[in-house]
Amino acid sequence: MATVEVRDLRKRYQDFLALDGVSLKAESGQLVTLLGPSGCGKSTTLRCLAGFLEANGGEITVDGESILGTPANRRGFGVVFQNYALFPHMTVAENIGYGLKIQKLPKPEITTRVHDAMKLVRLDGLGDRLPRAISGGQQQRVALARALVLKPKLLLLDEPLANLDARLRDEVRWLIRDLQQQSGITAFYVTHDQSEAMAMSDMVAVMKAGRVAQFATPREIYQKPVERYVADFTGEANFIPCQSVTPHGEGRYTISAAGVTLELAGVPGITGPAELLLRPEALSLTTPEAGTFRGTVTKSAFLGAALHCEITLNDGSVLKLAAEPNHHVVAGKEVGIAIDHTHAWLMPEVTP
Amino acid sequence: MSEMSNTFPHQKPVNIGFGILIVLLYVFLMAPLVMIIGASFTNGLMIEFPPQGISLRWYFEFFDRQDLVDGLLMSLRIGAVTAVVTMTVAMMAAMAGQVISGRLSGWYQLGMTLPLLVPELLTAVGLLFFLYKIQMAKTVMGLQMGHILMSFPYAYVSIAAAMRQVPDALEEASQSLGATGWQTFRLVILPLVMPGLAMGGIFAFINSFDLYTISLLLKPLGGNTLPLALFDFLTYEFKPTAAAAATLSILLSILGVALVQKLVGLQRAF
Repeated sequence: MATVEVRDLRKRYQDFLALDGVSLKAESGQLVTLLGPSGCGKSTTLRCLAGFLEANGGEITVDGESILGTPANRRGFGVVFQNYALFPHMTVAENIGYGLKIQKLPKPEITTRVHDAMKLVRLDGLGDRLPRAISGGQQQRVALARALVLKPKLLLLDEPLANLDARLRDEVRWLIRDLQQQSGITAFYVTHDQSEAMAMSDMVAVMKAGRVAQFATPREIYQKPVERYVADFTGEANFIPCQSVTPHGEGRYTISAAGVTLELAGVPGITGPAELLLRPEALSLTTPEAGTFRGTVTKSAFLGAALHCEITLNDGSVLKLAAEPNHHVVAGKEVGIAIDHTHAWLMPEVTP
Repeated sequence: MSEMSNTFPHQKPVNIGFGILIVLLYVFLMAPLVMIIGASFTNGLMIEFPPQGISLRWYFEFFDRQDLVDGLLMSLRIGAVTAVVTMTVAMMAAMAGQVISGRLSGWYQLGMTLPLLVPELLTAVGLLFFLYKIQMAKTVMGLQMGHILMSFPYAYVSIAAAMRQVPDALEEASQSLGATGWQTFRLVILPLVMPGLAMGGIFAFINSFDLYTISLLLKPLGGNTLPLALFDFLTYEFKPTAAAAATLSILLSILGVALVQKLVGLQRAF
């Protein structure tokens, strides 16, 4: 319903640069996740979008028009807070109807729309309860209904699942995604949980110290990260330093790493030192002769569904991988490691 | 008193030694009140406990004394205005205090409670000089200002404590739902701080009703507050009329607390 663009957003606190040029774009109906550790600026970005914070520089446009001059109460965005921020003295129905009451809609219309919204988030029959009398998951759904009932142009979610237990988290996560897709609302979602980000988003912005390290689809973020920081943050990863890198063609390289020469894809335009990214699922165990790499098993742990092994290569780098659980692996054994070349990825070495 | 033991419903039963200490504390606090109330119903001519017979004669005597009744009315009027003005100003001060952060915040809190820290007599003398300067000494308005100044910290502490319980996110949530600052205040902030606000107002009223030193120095020509009138009265006559007046004051305080209980519940006020 609305295209949102953030350009070169900057925010400075007295001696701390919270946002150092953040640029993002959400197409109409997309869910964009801001992913990163605490202090990376993801919440600050969201608060600037919501209008709770004033940026020191840059621009935010919705459908091409700047919103920086519009106060938070006239932006027409729905916000869902980490601790829900329900009004404790109002019932569930009053909480959800708050925005409609502010708009001075007629009573019957408010009742109908509140009722519909409660049905949408499966809260039927809880309208007369106070927030403290319902569970955390229900509170979260009230917060969601309260934002959605106003049919906002943009939905902003600040770690909405952080205070829920694992089972509820899954349930509410799918509810949020379903509602967002049904209503076609553009949404920004802040989280530090990579699996949440992967599962829900159309686009992910991995943030690092007030900047966007990479802005791409979840698949690209995972399989083709631009630097080690992104790869590390999005899942289990092995890194092997490369001894030599020869580019040929756009994004294709011939490298030598751990005594082996490989040809593979990577981040375009690498000139300096580079490292090889191998996700555990790109690796499989084989005989020493058949493998691309050769190494010694240093650790193995049976986890039921898989066997986790650590293998030390002859140049000292360690590879972690998940093997088939019934594979016979013992520490000290020499093994070969086969690589799925489509899942190997070359990245420039960036000082963290 | 059973009300008080319910104030901490989650607390485990305490051991006996501690229980005795609490009882002694209450006896110590309540004994003077019980004695003065008892003495007010005496049929005798002296303030004494236990009372000699039971009668309401000293209450009639009190309401027959024009000077004491005038004092009571003056105290009630000044107390009411003090409560209303103090609640309003302290509410604004507490809201301002919310947005001041860091080291400045500590100084701000201290500033707001300063009238408690400076000896009342010094404040009274200073205020008297000031009021002479602005031609308002010895007027009801001047006395009123003194009472507001002295009662403000009580209301401020109570309201600021209530304000701190309101998470900032509620204001932001209200804003994001389209509410203006005033709507947020009226629909979210005010209902949530109401217990603290009511308590602050009643503290201010009771404090104003009780002020002596500042009233003595600032009192208007020909006017007296109840404590001043009572003191004048006791200087010449040691009659149970004073006990009756004291009992009425106590009754007023209890009424105030009951009012808070009725309106918002004591549990939420503290």
